[in-house]
Amino acid sequence: MPEQEPLIRFENVTKVFPDNIVVLDNINIAFQPGEFVSIVGSSGAGKSTFLKLIYAEEVPTEGSVYFRGRPIHDINRKHLPFFRRGIGTVFQDYKLLPQKTVFENVAYALEVDGRSTADINEEVPEILSIVGLSDKMHKLPKQLSGGEQQRVSLARALIHRPSVIIADEPTGNLDPISAEEIIRLLLEINSFGKTVLLATHNKNIVDKIGKRVVLIDKGKVTHDVSKGKYILS
Amino acid sequence: MLKLWRTFKEGKNNFVRNSWLTFATVSILTFSLFIVGFSAFFGITSQFILQNMREKVSINVSFNPDVSEERILSIKEKLSQAKKEIASVEYISREKALEKFIAENNSNPTIIQALQEIGENPLFASLVIKAVQPDQYPLIVSEMQKSTFQNDISRINYEKNKEIFGRLDRMGKMASKVGLILGIVFIFIAILITFNAIRITIYSHRQEFEVMRLVGASNIYVRMPFVFEGFLYGLISGILSVALLFGMTYYIAPFTSGSVNTGDVLNIFFDYFWYLFAGLTILGIVLGVTSSALAIRRYLKI
Repeated sequence: MPEQEPLIRFENVTKVFPDNIVVLDNINIAFQPGEFVSIVGSSGAGKSTFLKLIYAEEVPTEGSVYFRGRPIHDINRKHLPFFRRGIGTVFQDYKLLPQKTVFENVAYALEVDGRSTADINEEVPEILSIVGLSDKMHKLPKQLSGGEQQRVSLARALIHRPSVIIADEPTGNLDPISAEEIIRLLLEINSFGKTVLLATHNKNIVDKIGKRVVLIDKGKVTHDVSKGKYILS
Repeated sequence: MLKLWRTFKEGKNNFVRNSWLTFATVSILTFSLFIVGFSAFFGITSQFILQNMREKVSINVSFNPDVSEERILSIKEKLSQAKKEIASVEYISREKALEKFIAENNSNPTIIQALQEIGENPLFASLVIKAVQPDQYPLIVSEMQKSTFQNDISRINYEKNKEIFGRLDRMGKMASKVGLILGIVFIFIAILITFNAIRITIYSHRQEFEVMRLVGASNIYVRMPFVFEGFLYGLISGILSVALLFGMTYYIAPFTSGSVNTGDVLNIFFDYFWYLFAGLTILGIVLGVTSSALAIRRYLKI
């Protein structure tokens, strides 16, 4: 049986920032569809840059990142928005639009896609009910708790039905209970077959998940364990 | 079309929801446009005032005392036919001239006494000529000096008026020049102020651009709401600046009555209303839209 094409593959990827700061150094790694991967490492280890290369917010200095076998940096600038609609992103600071309500924040992701108002009115409440925010639909982000804001962000990431969810320290600003709720949701999403890449430095969370763990230290992948725990670098 | 409508709605929402920022930007833009409008209106009005002053100036042709009234009236008739150059000719008889002179100098007993001592009317009959265009006076005067009635003329008080004409002309040219320079300077200042005000507005949204890109919004979709927002800033500021200009004109109108031949400056304002309205609104929209489009460019790198 031919080997399955990885969903995401890093091939000899090096990223150097101005002043010759090497953030990622010759990374070779692949992620299969449906995997749940915890990417761990101390602050400044290069986790965020690693993830940014996947959703094309950064371009590798050397090497290539492939998405479904296709080099991401070859994607025409004009087509990048379409590419990004296939990737859901969640961040530590939620990145919600402060002037928009919960409903509008999620709807925005569909609006940019040119979806009809009828579709939007059907799909947004549906996804908000999955993350448990049906009753907060018309509130502004500042009227929500951190955990609730992160759930809005997750709902927005899911609305395009992406094949991969990239979560960059999604629990960094949350209390343990809210953090656990977000991780539970990510695991649930993964159980539907979606790939989840979770960057975190929360040992408890990683240990509890008990799935593949990749350690990035000083720009290199130093450990890659399929059913691992948080490894101290 | 749906997307265009949505970006317009986004722009409108930004405009309404960021009320303080909107208020600040619209105030700044309105003030800039008002200054531009004011200098334009000042230019227009000063031309009208000068025109009015020019129209009030006339030349006075005095006739020798031995020239009969019939003769003068026939000369008046002849002059009136030169409609291209001469707007009006008025005959002032010796008696009327004296009446006017006494009325004007009533408060000066020395002059009245001197008149009584002379015992007879020392004034000459005259024709008061108004030209269609002030620059035609030299031609009219030279034609009269060459005419068949040149010997009937005692004096043409042109030399004295020539100076006034010259001064009015210089003032007119100066007013246009000052108006133009002020207009250009203020437009330039308005561009700078507007651009910076809108840049600050856009700057306050900078984190949102990243979010918009990350959820897959294309550059044009990110840009359009702000272009519409800039359009709204321009439109509303344009309207407000015209309203402000109206308020100012309305307030100063009573002080200017009689200084222009159309009544007062309010009449000029209404005569030029649509030009001012269109000019300021279009300028506002162009400023708002281009400032937004330029200011947002730096945030649209992918």
